[in-house]
Amino acid sequence: MSGRTEGGAQARHLSWATRRQTFDAPMTRALTLIRRRLVGSIFVLLIVVVGTFLLLEAAPGDAVDAYIVSTGGDAGMIELLRHRWGLDQSELTRLANYLWALLHLDLGQSVTFSRPIRDVILERLPNTLLLMVSATALSFGLGSALGIYAGARPGSFRDRFLSIGSLALYAVPGFWLGLMLIVVFAVDLRWLPIGGIETLASDKTGLDRAADIAIHLALPVSALGFIYLALYLRMMRAGMAEVWRQDFVLAARAKGLSRRRIVLAHVARNALLPLVTMLGLQSAQMLGGSVVIESVFSVPGLGRLAQEAVASRDTPLLLGIILTSAVLVIVINLLVDIAYAFLDPRVGAGEAGA
Amino acid sequence: MSALRRFLRTPEAVAGAILLAVLIAMALSASLLFPGDPQAIAGPALLPPFQDWSLPLGTDRLGRDVLAELFHGARTSLAVGLAAAAAALVVGAVVGTLAGFAGGLVDEVLMRITDAFQTVPSFLLALAFVSVVGPSLGVVAIALGTWTGPARVARAEVLSIRERDYVAGARVIGMHPLAIAFREVLPNALPPVLAMSSVIVAAAILTEAALSFLGLGDPNRVTWGGMISEGRAVLRTAPFLSIVPGIALVLTVLGVYLAGEGIVETTAVRRGLS
Amino acid sequence: MSGFTISRRTMLAGSAMLLASTAMPAPGWAQTPKKGGRLVLAADSEPRNLNPAIVASNGVFFISSKIVETLAEASFDGKDGLAPRLALSWEGAADGLSVTFKLRDGVKWHDGKPFTSADVAFSALQIWKPLQNLGRTVFKDLASVDTPDDLTAVFKFSKPTPFQLIRNALPALSSVVPKHIYEVGKIEDNPANNAPIGTGPFKFGEYKAGQYYRLTRNTDYWGKDEPYLDEIIYQVLPDRTSAASALEAEEIQLAAFSAVPLADLDRISKVPGLKVISKGYEGLTYQLVVEINHRRKELADVKVRQAIAHAIDKDFVVKTVFLGYAATATGPVPKNDPQFYTADVPTYAFDVAKANALLDEAGYKKGADGNRFSLKLLPAPYFNETKQFGDYLRQALAAIGIDAQLVNNDSAAHIKAVYTDHAFDLAVGPPVFRGDPAISTTILVQSGIPDSVPFSNQGGYKNDALDALISKASETLDATARTDLYKEFQKEVATDLPLINVAEWSFISVARDTVGNIANNPRWAVSNWADTYLES
Repeated sequence: MSGRTEGGAQARHLSWATRRQTFDAPMTRALTLIRRRLVGSIFVLLIVVVGTFLLLEAAPGDAVDAYIVSTGGDAGMIELLRHRWGLDQSELTRLANYLWALLHLDLGQSVTFSRPIRDVILERLPNTLLLMVSATALSFGLGSALGIYAGARPGSFRDRFLSIGSLALYAVPGFWLGLMLIVVFAVDLRWLPIGGIETLASDKTGLDRAADIAIHLALPVSALGFIYLALYLRMMRAGMAEVWRQDFVLAARAKGLSRRRIVLAHVARNALLPLVTMLGLQSAQMLGGSVVIESVFSVPGLGRLAQEAVASRDTPLLLGIILTSAVLVIVINLLVDIAYAFLDPRVGAGEAGA
Repeated sequence: MSALRRFLRTPEAVAGAILLAVLIAMALSASLLFPGDPQAIAGPALLPPFQDWSLPLGTDRLGRDVLAELFHGARTSLAVGLAAAAAALVVGAVVGTLAGFAGGLVDEVLMRITDAFQTVPSFLLALAFVSVVGPSLGVVAIALGTWTGPARVARAEVLSIRERDYVAGARVIGMHPLAIAFREVLPNALPPVLAMSSVIVAAAILTEAALSFLGLGDPNRVTWGGMISEGRAVLRTAPFLSIVPGIALVLTVLGVYLAGEGIVETTAVRRGLS
Repeated sequence: MSGFTISRRTMLAGSAMLLASTAMPAPGWAQTPKKGGRLVLAADSEPRNLNPAIVASNGVFFISSKIVETLAEASFDGKDGLAPRLALSWEGAADGLSVTFKLRDGVKWHDGKPFTSADVAFSALQIWKPLQNLGRTVFKDLASVDTPDDLTAVFKFSKPTPFQLIRNALPALSSVVPKHIYEVGKIEDNPANNAPIGTGPFKFGEYKAGQYYRLTRNTDYWGKDEPYLDEIIYQVLPDRTSAASALEAEEIQLAAFSAVPLADLDRISKVPGLKVISKGYEGLTYQLVVEINHRRKELADVKVRQAIAHAIDKDFVVKTVFLGYAATATGPVPKNDPQFYTADVPTYAFDVAKANALLDEAGYKKGADGNRFSLKLLPAPYFNETKQFGDYLRQALAAIGIDAQLVNNDSAAHIKAVYTDHAFDLAVGPPVFRGDPAISTTILVQSGIPDSVPFSNQGGYKNDALDALISKASETLDATARTDLYKEFQKEVATDLPLINVAEWSFISVARDTVGNIANNPRWAVSNWADTYLES
């Protein structure tokens, strides 16, 4: 919902992947890419961790302040808690300890959940991933399909209608769309559940459970996915307009191929490439958007966990979440680049990662 | 044919411009039409719209005038959106120019920082930032998540500009590198950066709304997101309290997109011709 | 106890009264409770430590009171307002140095081991006194617990401790946990804190973070035929607006603690199959209080404080912010308290002219812009109502020429700003009255409290007369004399206004018609629910 800039901005500047250079075999290029990207990523992650840590240190109130809201307590108890949770150590010591533990791939212990942070995050991650992947599939699939439909006849009524309509959707705040969907489909019509990830304590397994989760995710996925539809629709359409003018399409037209065939086999296929890059770029935004959507639909995912971590000043937990999402974004972009390396022979690994 | 006439020929752009004009008119006239504190209690609580013509859009939970809040909220949305976008563009342009022009280690460091900001979901960042420093710095929080786009675009432009003749010329006459960067290179790198402003303004307005919706807005000012958040508690009893500001938000953001697109297209054509 | 009944009625003023009368649950004796069924209800927070012996708070009790029981529970008609649970009787010695508890026979822990006086002694000495947020004050002079036999526990105090206070503390402070589980390792790290083991009607089943808690029936419970329910599921719904929708969509059957926003109650009471109940929280009264920083020179002047009190239209607050589900307050003890409340205190009628006159008198004239001075106002973020009252107070102060700037903080930042940094002029807080002023009320005005103690006097207020009253009451053993001292205390607070009590409120439950035996004690939501049942 936020930062829809990234999409628009980077549609024009596909920094991650559009460098064109050498003509190695795709596999070698992919390996080079992975190696370079990993080295760069370590610095990026270090900046993320230290930055987040410092930001949270500046926060008014710490985990103990957040905890005693619901309990109260005297001065002795507060001191006891601060000591138990290691909050009486200096900031530097705690940062150093955290980084040292991180080197051993240990995310530490959550003070609010009294559990290893890795476990807490792993429990929520699948829900967020499911929400993100489904929403992305919806916006990408439907968006590019409608983009082809619109772009096949540039300037027609359907082109204009779809293009404006999707832009209007793009202008809708995700939380508001979510609220309206709940009122209509969950409360009034009662077609779908109002929230959650699955029926509580239902002991469903296998396909039953999958169907149950699908039903629960229908509304949140729609709220998140429909918003980004416009992005893919408009990119597809713009891409197609460009490809239409290129020589090989003109040649195909000259050969007398049917319009449908030209659209699908030549124009759409070539216009699809930049959309793949967009997928990677959008991953961070989808994660951000899911924070609010998870809150509106009570989905127990990473976004809601992050909100709770901020509210309870659980610094190591929030660090863990931000680190996880950063790694996720990096991995997704890497996958997109590798896919690109295989799809488009012109892409090299030379400058990748800049 | 002038750019303005081309702009006026595109119905989408005109619609966007009209929406924006209405919004600006609302923001500017808020204090004239609804003097005093828009959060003052004006009548009975939860009055539905179109019942009392002195309170045409009804009242909220505490009896505040929804229409007055809507007008004053336009002001907040616009102010926050423009300020955050301006901050993001300035920071992005400066960082991008420095990185692109200096190259080497400076470029590497600045781009890693940009990567770091881009890797963290910007809304998560804004949320954490506002929780930490409070809603008064909401503009900064929003800008934090949006400056990276302009930075990358600026850098790419600078990379292509810095090898051009007039830059080499400036070097030869012994201009200070920073002076070259900001006097010669940056102005020429700006147009594509500015072309992003409508998208950034729209994103800033939406982010502000989402933060206010989560209760992280400035309580002394009316915000549309905050109105929706308050209205949510009575979503079923008084749906207009959530629907009215929601529609205002959609129309505003749509207006910004359409008008922005219109401007970019008309100017792009002109640049293409020249 | 007639005073109790009347004051309880007062509590249900206005529309709440009407709703209550139409939506009162069917009297228990008229129905035969049915066995079986799963009760699904909304939970708005996820307490991480579920041990009520350590964390005595309503958020924890809401879930764990069904698993871990106390010595006694609050009751509408029991002696001293109590009903026996793990203790059958309690007797205080005249010298205030000991209290004797006779315990229930044949009670088993969920792991099958027998419950004995050793468990009570362990809980009191090792947990309530050193670790519990409230027990650290009330049990501070507890020296030892004698266990002459398995069913007798004698609490010995080093200093005379009023029996009235101990009695009033039983429902909230006396959760008993098993010694054999907790004596191994550090108490704070015991896994049973997250998966409690108790003697209650329900056993802890499982907890899925962000989703639900599941409690299952204890087939070995001491209560005859109890419990009736097979399972209780707490569905985590942090978003306050989703509970109402979940009730309407029949995804949950009960929403307690006002999980349904007050503004939605009128509509939801008309939904067929749902009932709105305003009973069952009489023992959990929250107070709406304006906390004052007396370090500000303007606010150190009692005339200014009186002016602010006169500027607040309490009736409007009750009617608009609480929609009638509250009562106006006169002082630091709520009207519905059966033992201590007195109406014989100075009151401050809503009178803007008088407030303005008082401020003029105090020497704070209106400036050219109509303002006398500016204040920083921090409404506590924990309740919608505290935030809304903050919005209202800002307007009320504007009417008397005081410009208040609202500061929105989240909970942690609010606690830090008000109680540690004292970075406020006025704050809006919701302290809880826990049945005895000595448990958590007197510290709101007492001086000499160290910095950063939450929900205490951090406004720099010092009144020697009031301090003397408080310390005298804490060592007065005779219940009548002690009560009189607290009446004196209320008068002094209402006169000098160290803080301004605006309103008192309890919570509302909304339930499906099929849920039986709701709200049958004054702390129902945090009691054990052994007799709650579901009609099919």
